[in-house]
Amino acid sequence: MENQKMSFELQHRPSSTIAICHLPAGETLVSEGGALMALKGPVNVNTTTHQKKGGGVMAGLKRLLSGESFFMNHYQAQQASQVWLCSALPGDMMVHQLTGQKIIVAGGAFVACDSDVAIDLEWQGLKSIFSGESLFWIKAHGHGEILLSSFGFIYPIQVEGEYIVDTGHIVAFEETLSFTISKASSTWLDSFMSGEGFVCRFKGRGTVWCQSHNPSQYGSLLTPYLRPKSN
Amino acid sequence: MNFNIEHKPDFAWLTVQVPRGQKLFVEASAMASMSSNIKMSSQFKGGFRRFFTGESLFLSEFKADGVDGEVTIAPGPNGDIGHIHLQNQTVYLSSSSYVAHTEGLNYETKFQKLSAGLLSGAGWFLVKMSGLGDVWFNGYGALTELDVQDEILIDNGHLVAFTDGLDYDIIKLGGYKSLFFSGEGFVCRFRGQGKVYVQTKKPSALVNWADGYRRVQKSSN
Repeated sequence: MENQKMSFELQHRPSSTIAICHLPAGETLVSEGGALMALKGPVNVNTTTHQKKGGGVMAGLKRLLSGESFFMNHYQAQQASQVWLCSALPGDMMVHQLTGQKIIVAGGAFVACDSDVAIDLEWQGLKSIFSGESLFWIKAHGHGEILLSSFGFIYPIQVEGEYIVDTGHIVAFEETLSFTISKASSTWLDSFMSGEGFVCRFKGRGTVWCQSHNPSQYGSLLTPYLRPKSN
Repeated sequence: MNFNIEHKPDFAWLTVQVPRGQKLFVEASAMASMSSNIKMSSQFKGGFRRFFTGESLFLSEFKADGVDGEVTIAPGPNGDIGHIHLQNQTVYLSSSSYVAHTEGLNYETKFQKLSAGLLSGAGWFLVKMSGLGDVWFNGYGALTELDVQDEILIDNGHLVAFTDGLDYDIIKLGGYKSLFFSGEGFVCRFRGQGKVYVQTKKPSALVNWADGYRRVQKSSN
């Protein structure tokens, strides 16, 4: 008997998007902490620092650094169930079907995936330290669906040759693309004056999914109005 | 009463036609505009308990004087507005999601069970609406209705309203490790037959996200 796979159903797109995961008996959904909205059906809930295929405590630590929760929740359906998931910021979600290929997902965009998808953190090296965005990106591969969220709407770009995306607007990209992080303009002064700072220069063939709005730009707008934390 | 909800779900905005001589009750400060013949007054509703609900102690009463009039209502958060026509049924609203109701409905505030008040995220009190008439409520983000046949778990920050016939309690999700590390903690478990209304966004998640953008101030000593 062929095993039935889980599926995601998106509702209230594009600004109040939620995902309903239809989980067949025996299937497991792996989700970021804090994303749960409702649970229907008999489901075993387990919280671990790592995925079965995703490394140990180090993987959990790396997830903490990436801006994702340290822990992942595993929802295993005893019978057909529904897991309702949401994200914090107003925006859209997307479902991507992995059939063996790899994608790289930006820090805060990961919401959930099939347990047959392996997720691991990818150190992007010194080049991303200067980008002002998360140091870690999540590398996902395997066979199954992965659910991502965005701030604003998502637009895919088919790259052939070269294309430039501001680092804060990246949701995910295919691993077939290589990239370099560089300043937006040829001089440092221009880069900072333009407010663009760092951009990601993609090369090769593949898809980049971008979000219309940059969360950290919105966050910095709020900073002067938020009460400072005392140290 | 005739009504219209426009700009759903992101900026839902309610217009109610109030027939001559009739009254509409609205959450204090939610009125956006109204006809000039509408007379507004404050009603002390829900009594002393409303001191604790974190809501205004008063409801605004809008009465159409002489001729028919209209009132437009915009709730606090950007999000959807839901409507239920009650025919001698009962619905419970979390204290922050009440928007308005028509004459003929009974407005009461109800104590939650101690554990529920502490942990449900819906506050210490619920608004109980019963009788014959219309009630409107709001959510942050879109509103979704869930049918409950036997049991459902709802994250407490997403709870907006539920119908009579459901019993609820607060449980922890998974084991103790999940309690502390899952990011979910306690959830509301509804059992019975009825409907639960949830909002797709929760204010606390936005605040947690914004918390990351607070400046860090060095203490002076």
